[in-house]
Amino acid sequence: MSAKLDDLLLNDRGFAFDAVDGESYQLSPTALQLVRWMQAGDLEEAVLLDRLMDSYEVDEHTARRDLDSFLSTARELGWS
Amino acid sequence: MSGSIIPIKTTLVKLAYVTPTIRRLDAGGGNPFRHGHTNACTQIDGVSVASLAKEFGSPLFVFSEATLRRKYREAHRAFARHYPDVQFAWSYKTNYLNAICNAFHQEGAIAEVVSDFEYEKARHNGIPGRDIIFNGPYKSRESLMRAIDEKAMIQVDNLDELLTLTDIAKQRSIVVPIALRIHINTHTHEVWSKFGFSGDNGEAEQILRRLTTLDCLRLRGLHCHVGTFILDPVAYRIAASRLVELAVTAQAMNLGPIEYLNLGGGFASKARLHGQYLPPDQVTPSIDSYAEAICSTIQTLWPTSQKLPRLYLETGRALIDEAGWLISTVVAVKTRPIQGATTLPIAMAAYGKGGQDLTQSRSAHGKGLSHSLSAYGKNIHTQRGALTHNAIVIDAGVHLLYTATWYQPTILPAKATADPLSATTVYGCLCMNIDVVREEAPLPSLTTGDQIVMHPVGAYNVTQAMQFIQYRPAVVMIDEAGCPRIIRRKEDLRYVQEMEEMPAHLAKPN
Ligand SMILES: Cc1ncc(COP(=O)(O)O)c(C=O)c1O
Repeated sequence: MSAKLDDLLLNDRGFAFDAVDGESYQLSPTALQLVRWMQAGDLEEAVLLDRLMDSYEVDEHTARRDLDSFLSTARELGWS
Repeated sequence: MSGSIIPIKTTLVKLAYVTPTIRRLDAGGGNPFRHGHTNACTQIDGVSVASLAKEFGSPLFVFSEATLRRKYREAHRAFARHYPDVQFAWSYKTNYLNAICNAFHQEGAIAEVVSDFEYEKARHNGIPGRDIIFNGPYKSRESLMRAIDEKAMIQVDNLDELLTLTDIAKQRSIVVPIALRIHINTHTHEVWSKFGFSGDNGEAEQILRRLTTLDCLRLRGLHCHVGTFILDPVAYRIAASRLVELAVTAQAMNLGPIEYLNLGGGFASKARLHGQYLPPDQVTPSIDSYAEAICSTIQTLWPTSQKLPRLYLETGRALIDEAGWLISTVVAVKTRPIQGATTLPIAMAAYGKGGQDLTQSRSAHGKGLSHSLSAYGKNIHTQRGALTHNAIVIDAGVHLLYTATWYQPTILPAKATADPLSATTVYGCLCMNIDVVREEAPLPSLTTGDQIVMHPVGAYNVTQAMQFIQYRPAVVMIDEAGCPRIIRRKEDLRYVQEMEEMPAHLAKPN
């Protein structure tokens, strides 16, 4: 896990503070949950997809598409 | 199987799904770190800045021998604590003034060079070929022949180089020892795929297989320089572990033995990237954290039946950046228009963030109300409603500070002052609009003739400084006894024109 992801500060309302570059973010509830799973060590797309579908009312097509774009943003921010 | 657990499909109500989105917030510009430090730099290693400028001229690069030796020793100690066989190689390109190179060589560093020119320079400094690590994407055939003769450590960058070496070896009926440069995606930053063979897509293994068919080359080492200013030591963990895997693969193919792994350079100095929020003291990893990442990875993964490889490091900026300062003199004072100043509080607008007024106070210049960030322990003043802020022109510029493209040097006045600080644009002396050393530096009001000091600037600036419309300045190094010594004289017309030739018919202007 990158130090950036490890150091990312979150609150329960989806506010995220990246202490490395000082940027702040608002995460949607699903994004917040994904980042929490990632911080706990689940970085694999397949694992995240399973967890999403287990926990949320979402079809596989939507979950795959959204996860793909979420992860590419997360990677761009160095949260991987 | 009686003991196995059958997963029960959960029937719990699932959560409502919303698209996972990440939105960057553009709020609150008032923060304690954005403006940097506010003190003065009156002396360097006990020598007053004013006297240095007086004696050696301005601008002036100043190096501290004590600092560079201390940085080297700290780095070496950190690695030696974690690993039994470590050798640093001074990365010439970072700063190849001979005095600097020799200080590192005296400390025990061998040389890392990336071109024929640097190779010659290292030899000129008395470094034997066997103590030269020869890197780079372009090594001429002649320089490869010399490197072979002198037993330098050639780190092969590409297939053409490999073929040239094969050709030379066959012609001479000799076996040439080599290392392979590998690039590895560490997922922490963009992969430096320009250099070496890919460790990610099978290319490295393919080259290893090719080597098994070439008796005239002997693989001794593997090299990976993951990039520069790497803020996450994890990158080195990933690179080191991949290099070990490749070493094991190579040895399984009867190549090797792999005697060394070379993890290149890239440790961050305490420079501050543009856009970096926290100060370098909080962001720059310690050298120990890099050492731990690299050394523990190799020691954990290296096959216990085999001798641990020697570890080479080519650390550049982390050893020299903080040992270098640039003294410069204010030559003009200006104001600069601020775009959008009427809609946002000035001090924050200048930083591209919205924000709110924190306190209001009378400025020390008596020019009326000003905003201040003093609530956060800083004193950044700008005038309410003003459409301009301070700017200065200095006698140095981006031709001397190539690294200002990526880093914002700390700029301090050379005299302590009680003046409040205001966001000041620091223009260089070139006749080019891009010559801005810092868009916004917190500075007291300065006037022509005042000196400022920029730091850290010891890495890459001297080697990449351009002779463009100005002579390049002198460079001094303050020795450990506190005595400043010239290590490069200021250029003059004779020096700059030395290589020019004049065709006879152009010898006169008319
Ligand atoms: C092969 C190699 N080694 C070492 C270095 C020195 O890197 P740094 O100054 O980031 O430590 C570089 C610079 O990019 C390099 O290309």
